[in-house]
Amino acid sequence: MMAFAMLQWWYTRGWKIFITKLIDKLRGAADFFSISLLIRTLFAPFKQIDAGGGGDSLGDRLHAFGDRLISRLVGAVMRIGILIFGLILLILESVVGLALIIIWPFLPLVPVAGIYLTCTGFSLW
Amino acid sequence: MVAEYHYHSVRAKEARLARALTNRFVRVLIGLIGFGLIGLGAAFIIFKDPVAWVCLGCAIIPFMVLFWIKNELTRIPIGKHETINDVLSGNSLSLLGAHPTPQSLVGMFRKTKSGVFMMTRFGIREDVLASIAGQLTQDINPVFEKALAIRKETNSEQINGGILMVALIECYPEHENLLKQMKMEVSDLHQGIIWYNYLYGLVAGAKAPRRSGGIARDFSFGFIPTLQRYGKNISKEREVAAKTQILQGARQEIINKMVETFSKSGRQNIALVGPYGSGRTTIVNAFAEILLDADSNIPSNLKFRQVFALDATALIGSAKERGDLETLVVKLFNEAYAAKNIIICLDNAHLFFEDGTGSADISNVLLPILDAGKTRIILEMDQQKFLEISAKNGALANTLNKITVEPANEEETLKILQDQIPVLEYQHHVVYTYFSLLEAYKMSDRYIHDVEMPGKAKILLESAASYAENGLVTEKSVQMAIEKTEGVKVQVASNEADTSRLLNLEELIHQRMIDQVEAVKTVSDALRRAAAGVRNTNRPIGTFLFLGPTGVGKTELAKALSEVYFNGESQIVRLDLNEFVSASDVNRLIADGAEDALSLTAQVMKKPFSVVLLDEIEKAHPQVLTTLLQLLDEGILRDAKNREVSFRDCIVIATSNAGAELIRQYITSGHNLADFKDQFTDNLISSGQFKPEFLNRFDEICLFKPLSKEDLVQVIDLILNSVNKELASRKITVSLAEDAKALLVERGYDPRLGARPMRRIVQKTVENLVARAVLSGEIAAGSAVNITREQIEEQLK
Repeated sequence: MMAFAMLQWWYTRGWKIFITKLIDKLRGAADFFSISLLIRTLFAPFKQIDAGGGGDSLGDRLHAFGDRLISRLVGAVMRIGILIFGLILLILESVVGLALIIIWPFLPLVPVAGIYLTCTGFSLW
Repeated sequence: MVAEYHYHSVRAKEARLARALTNRFVRVLIGLIGFGLIGLGAAFIIFKDPVAWVCLGCAIIPFMVLFWIKNELTRIPIGKHETINDVLSGNSLSLLGAHPTPQSLVGMFRKTKSGVFMMTRFGIREDVLASIAGQLTQDINPVFEKALAIRKETNSEQINGGILMVALIECYPEHENLLKQMKMEVSDLHQGIIWYNYLYGLVAGAKAPRRSGGIARDFSFGFIPTLQRYGKNISKEREVAAKTQILQGARQEIINKMVETFSKSGRQNIALVGPYGSGRTTIVNAFAEILLDADSNIPSNLKFRQVFALDATALIGSAKERGDLETLVVKLFNEAYAAKNIIICLDNAHLFFEDGTGSADISNVLLPILDAGKTRIILEMDQQKFLEISAKNGALANTLNKITVEPANEEETLKILQDQIPVLEYQHHVVYTYFSLLEAYKMSDRYIHDVEMPGKAKILLESAASYAENGLVTEKSVQMAIEKTEGVKVQVASNEADTSRLLNLEELIHQRMIDQVEAVKTVSDALRRAAAGVRNTNRPIGTFLFLGPTGVGKTELAKALSEVYFNGESQIVRLDLNEFVSASDVNRLIADGAEDALSLTAQVMKKPFSVVLLDEIEKAHPQVLTTLLQLLDEGILRDAKNREVSFRDCIVIATSNAGAELIRQYITSGHNLADFKDQFTDNLISSGQFKPEFLNRFDEICLFKPLSKEDLVQVIDLILNSVNKELASRKITVSLAEDAKALLVERGYDPRLGARPMRRIVQKTVENLVARAVLSGEIAAGSAVNITREQIEEQLK
């Protein structure tokens, strides 16, 4: 009875729950790496270090422009770095997750496959 | 039939299986088997044995089982139908036998969390449940039917042990009487179910992952070193703390308004105006949480903004010179503006708009910032302070977007308390019963006046934790807490000594005053009603007007009441109203305690459980009497600062000599005083001494008759008792011969002055005699002295 109930669940709610959990995990990872925020603010000044602005003279303006440019560059480098790292992890998680979703229905057959391989004397060597 | 239980249904079987497998030991064992098989498989691979494939293949089974247990069996979802088998919680279902009876349900309640919850919070004992539960199998269906109805009524997802327990109680034909004995109603139990569901939801919510922006959330926002030094980042604190639950209704509307104000263009400030304890800070906390919640439905220009609280006292304290504070504040606001993600919250904001100890008026700095409306600011202050600031600086008030935070009503307060209980229980290591919450609302509403709801109820619950019995905070704990903190007496006479004292009040009072039987009885009856809980709690315990000549025991009765009922003569607040003869004296009557500690309101604030003795009331100015009307009527008087001062736990006694001569004449003519009362009252009104509306405010008007010579003999005995009490330390006992007493009465009797001259004459004769004898050594320690008539005569010469 237990095996039947479990298998029934495995191919119905269990599969759905696994997919939901995987999506939650991916969302969590995307949030952890601030993916959407990083994309939206990719070239925004880092830590607002240009916020002071400049005076009215041309020199001040140029100085402020320079500060802002550096700030944006620093920000962009940091953001792109995190973005790349985060995206790689996300992609890896997604690939593994997708693979698991696909092989999910076959997992209960693994013991049968094991028995078959043993019976046929399958060997890697 | 929907209420028919099937032991062999798939869900029931699954529930029983879940019960067996969700055991931690079993789960560990399954995990070990899985890893063991992997290990074994690896070993066979090393030895090049094909059995490895069986081991490795089968290793997946334990992990599949663990996944199944975790995601399905720990909380079996409800079925598709509305039958009892489909909606019973997995735990309850697993505990039901093949042929359940109501009696068998009783034993399972303590094995379910909801059952234990109901038993603990409502004090429901298992033996009581066992005594009302049926023994037969067919008795179970009505219980299940009732449980299905309760589930719908309480909007519960499943039928848990708690619901089954309530259903069992409701199926008992005499359940209303039973619940009355337990001082509750069916609706209370339903509230208990809702409370459990709510807490269950909180736990589930706490387990859900929180998304709050991630590691790069603040990259686009500026550095805030000064703010970090002087401010408190509420958002950071709330990010890791338990989620603040904001209930639907008034408080949710306030948060919506805050979001709206800060997300639209216009002046970016909010003045949260509400009394202390009304939950302003909780609202700010909840607001901070919403801003940091990536899933919240708020405009993107508010998302991930952080709320920084600036403590006015700390800022003012850190500024050495006057100008330093302005400079610091400007720096803080500039930083917040430059950072672009900061909302500044000024708690006790009024301290920045007034000069005084611990405050500094820097409105000249703040007004332009507020007026510019670029930096987001929340100001918290109470209504009074807001009015004062508005009166002083109209421009400032116009600049602020005011949002009023009203004190929570009873329903809201109870919900908020239910929400806060887990935190309180964790902090104080106690468990609060449902009725402790109700009592905390009731008691704090009545006795705590300087804080508003829900704050005051929460404060009282915290105090009550110290009076928990066996870790359980009950109604009694709350009552004890309020008694200790506010100096009131709220517990109904419960112990034998209290009961005996109340039943024998007259006897106890007569131990120190003579006659006036009717007055004593009237007053005693009122006190017994109060102690038994049979009285209007929105009025003083009793209001009495004592009328009669001087020296007949009016004040003495007030003192006796204070001693007998309030455990000491010190629990008396006495005001001579002959000092309140002009209209302006009303101000002295209700003066703030800081200015006049002897005002009536100030004294009663300190002693809310006392006898309030208003002597010579007929001499008070009519304006003073009018002021007292509300006190007599509602038990409330507002002081000069408009604070409510409660007299609802006081016995208010007004005394007057008005009409004393009339009483004397009436008694002398041999009439009964009780028959004269109405006529006498009419006379007082017609003679203009008291207005009818004033006399009508008293519960009872007690007439005191003049003391007869026989009464005075007893008065002498009382005085002699007090003399003997004084001499008790020397072991000397003084007694008076009967003819000596008669002589003292003869000489001391003055119908106009009552018992007063008697004390003087006893002092002049008996006390002088004893004093001389003690000093001359005639009376040694341990001796008894009997004073004769001759000795008294000698003294009176």
